[in-house]
Amino acid sequence: MSERPDKAQADASSPDAYRHLVERLPVTLRPSLNQQLSQWATLFPFEQNRLANFMKGVETFSPSALDALTAPLWALEKKMGVKLWNFSEASDTIENASQLARSEYYAEWRREVQRVFETVNAAARDSTPIQTASTRLILLFLPGSLPVDPLSAWKQWDARGHEIKISGGSERLCELAMKGQPGLPGIATLAARQGNVESSDLWLIDAEGKLSGMPASLSPMAACSLSYAALKPLRDRFLAEVNKIPKNIQATDELISNLRLESWNGWGLWPAEVANQPRLRRFVIDLYLSGNGAFIFSNAFVEWAASEALRRARPRTIVARFGMRSKPKPFTSIAIFENQQRISSLPDVDDPENSAIDAVILARYVWLAASRYPEQEQTLCLCVSEHRDSAYVILPAGKSLGWSPERTIAPDELYSWLGAQFLS
Amino acid sequence: MDASRRNLLKATAILLVDQWALSHGQAFATESSSAAGKDERKVIVVACGGIRRAETFSDSGLGNIPHLYRELLPQSVFYPFIRNAGATSHYNTISSILTGNWQRLDDWGMTAPASPTLFEYLRKRMDLPQDSVWFISSNKALTSRIGASSIRDFGPRFGANVVFPKQLLINAVIRAASQGHPEHSADRAAMQLELQAMLQNADNYEGLGWSVSGEESILDLRMQSSMQQAIEDLVRTNAPVTGDEFTFLVSAEVMRRFAPSLLAITFSDVEVAHFGSYSMHLAGIRTMDRLVYELWNLVQALPSYSGKTTLFVLPEFGRDFDGSSTNGFFNHRAIDDSTSLTWMMCLGEAARSANVVERPVQHIDLCPTIAGLFGVKDLELPGKTLPGLST
Repeated sequence: MSERPDKAQADASSPDAYRHLVERLPVTLRPSLNQQLSQWATLFPFEQNRLANFMKGVETFSPSALDALTAPLWALEKKMGVKLWNFSEASDTIENASQLARSEYYAEWRREVQRVFETVNAAARDSTPIQTASTRLILLFLPGSLPVDPLSAWKQWDARGHEIKISGGSERLCELAMKGQPGLPGIATLAARQGNVESSDLWLIDAEGKLSGMPASLSPMAACSLSYAALKPLRDRFLAEVNKIPKNIQATDELISNLRLESWNGWGLWPAEVANQPRLRRFVIDLYLSGNGAFIFSNAFVEWAASEALRRARPRTIVARFGMRSKPKPFTSIAIFENQQRISSLPDVDDPENSAIDAVILARYVWLAASRYPEQEQTLCLCVSEHRDSAYVILPAGKSLGWSPERTIAPDELYSWLGAQFLS
Repeated sequence: MDASRRNLLKATAILLVDQWALSHGQAFATESSSAAGKDERKVIVVACGGIRRAETFSDSGLGNIPHLYRELLPQSVFYPFIRNAGATSHYNTISSILTGNWQRLDDWGMTAPASPTLFEYLRKRMDLPQDSVWFISSNKALTSRIGASSIRDFGPRFGANVVFPKQLLINAVIRAASQGHPEHSADRAAMQLELQAMLQNADNYEGLGWSVSGEESILDLRMQSSMQQAIEDLVRTNAPVTGDEFTFLVSAEVMRRFAPSLLAITFSDVEVAHFGSYSMHLAGIRTMDRLVYELWNLVQALPSYSGKTTLFVLPEFGRDFDGSSTNGFFNHRAIDDSTSLTWMMCLGEAARSANVVERPVQHIDLCPTIAGLFGVKDLELPGKTLPGLST
C-alpha cells in the first residue's frame, strides 16, 4: 500500500513561511507548531490542512490585531516566568508540560490558549470554503473470546444509541467488512465509493492481527493498517530503548527526542503493511512516545491508536478490533515496563474476563474520542460483541434505525444496512 | 493472594525491618525509647494514588470498596469533597499533603519540598528521633527527597525514614532479567546468584533510593540471605505479587518494631491505569480497600497503637473523566472535578463521633490538622484545621 500525495502536500513550500509566523506568537504556542512544521512531510493531510489553515488565520490578523489578541497570553507567560524556564520552543517536551502543569496559572493559561486558537481558527474558517461532510463509520469488534456481559456492556454508552440483537454468527460482520461478498462490498470498497482515496481515510487497527489476516482480494484503496501483534519486534526493541530512560526529565526529553529522530528503518522490524508508509511509521513512534499503554497492552494500543488517528487524520472509516491479554505474571504489575517474556519464562495464560472488562470501556473511549469533533453529527458507530451476538449502534444526527431494536437481525442484513447508511 | 505467597512477602518484610531494628538496637516498639512523648499519640496517613469517585464512593463504585464502605465508613468522619487545588502529580501532591502548602516542584522528585514537612515540624518541635517518623511508599514517581524540605532551619536532620519496598522487588527482577536468561526466573539456583550479587553490591543497595537513619550502604549478610530467599520464591510464583501488598507488610513491621508517631504510606497499584488496563486498576482499588482494612485491624491489635491512633485515608487525586482529551481514567491531568475532587476518611482517636462533613476541604488542610493533633500549633500554614474532628 502506498501513500498518495494530496493538495496540502503539493503546497509543501509553506512550512518555511509559517515558521516566521510562529515567531510572532506567544512562546508557549510555539513548541507544538514548530514540531508539526519540522515533521511536515509525515503529517497526515488533515494535519497539514489544519496547520495551514491556522497559519492562514494568523495571517488574517494585522500585527496590531495579533498583538491585541495575544496580549493576555503574553502577560500570563510573564507572570508564569516562562522566560526563566528551560522551555523548548522546538518541540513539545515532558519538561515543557511539567513546567506548565505545575504553574499556579496553568488553568488560566489553558483557557487563554484555547481562546487564541479558537479566534484564529474562526478567522481562518471565515476565509475558507466549508466542505460538505460525508458519513464517518466507526466499526468496533469485541471478539467472541471475550465474555462481555451484555447486561452491563452498553449501559454507559451514549443514550442516543440502540442495543441490537444479532441472530447468531456475529463474527461474520468482521469478515464481511474485511472481505465483502457478492452484493455486499467490503469496507474498503464502501470507503472508495464514498469518494475516499487517501490511505489515511481508512484505518484498520487490530489487537491480534485478525483484520490483516482477512484482506480483500482486490482492495480498491490503500489503508492505514496497524496490528499490535505484528508490531511485536518493533515494540520489543522500543521497550528496550525506553527502559534506558533515567529518572531525570532533561535526560528523558533527550532520549525521547533521539527516539523520535531515529528512523527505525534499518532493523527490519516493521511489518510489511507499515514498512512502506513513512507517515504510518512516524504515527506508530509518536503513539509509543505518547504513552497511554500503547506498547504495554494490546487493547490500550487499539484504543489509543484509534483515538490518535481520529485526532490527527480524521478518517472517514475506522475498523478497530480488540483482543485478549494474558494474565499478569508474578511481576507484571511490579515491573510493568519490562518485557514480560524476558522477566519470566512462565507461559502466557489468557485472561478473558479481565480482557473483556478492558475492551468494553476502551471501545467506548473510541466513540468518545470521535465525539469530540464536529463531524460527530455525521458519525455512525457500531460496536459488536461477538460473544453474545449483541451490538450497540449510534446513528448520525437525524437518522433513525429503521427497524425495531427489539427484533433480532441477521449479520448480512445488518452489514447491508450499515453499508447503505454509510453511503447515504 | 494465596497464604503461602503472602507469608513469603510477610517474611521478607519482617526480615527487612528486623535489619533496621537491629541496626538501631531496637527489638520491639514496646522496648523503644522513641515513642512520641508521654502522650504517645499516633497518626497514620494513607494516600492511595489516583482514584475517581466514580470507581469508589458512587453508586457504581461501592462494589470496589466493600471494607471502606461497609466496615470503616460507619465509624469514620468522612469528607466526601476534598479538593486537590495544586498540581495533580504524585510528588507535588504528596509534598503538598506533608507540608500544608501547594508544592510546585519537579514532578520527578529531584527537588525537596519547598516548605517544611510534617516530619520536620514534629521532630523539631517535639524533639523526636528519626525512627518516629516514616514514609513508606510503593510509588516509583517519588524519591527520598520527600522526607525533608530544602528549608535551612529544617531539612534532612529533621527528616523521615523513607523506604520504597516495591523498588527492591523491581530491582531484583530487572537484575535477574538483565542476565539474558529468562529461565533464571524459574530457577532457584540461578536467581540466588542474581540476588546475592544485587544485595551485596553497595551501588545496587543505594539504587533503591531509600533513606533510613544510620543505615549502612550495604545490607548485612543475614539480611542478604533472608531477602535472597524471599525474593527468589516470589519470582518463582505463578500469580501476581503487588507492590502495595509488600508496602503494607513492610509498614506493618515498621509499626511493630518502631511504632512511629507519624507514618505516611502511599499505595500505587491503581496507577496501572496509566497503561490502560481498567480491570487491573479496579483490582488495585480492591487491594487498597483490603489493605486499609487490614491496617486498621492492625492498629486495633497493636498495644502501641490501639486507642491512640488517628488514621487518614485519601486518594491523592481522582483521574480524568471518560471522554476527556487526556484519555479518561489513564491519566490525572485534566482541569476538572473528576481529577481534582475526591474523598477522605478519618478513623480513630480524632474521629470519635462518626460524621459526614459535607463542607469541602483541601489536601493542604491535613498538615495543620495533624500537627494540631500532636499539639504543634502556630505553624502559619495556608490550610485550615479539618472540621468535625476531636483534638
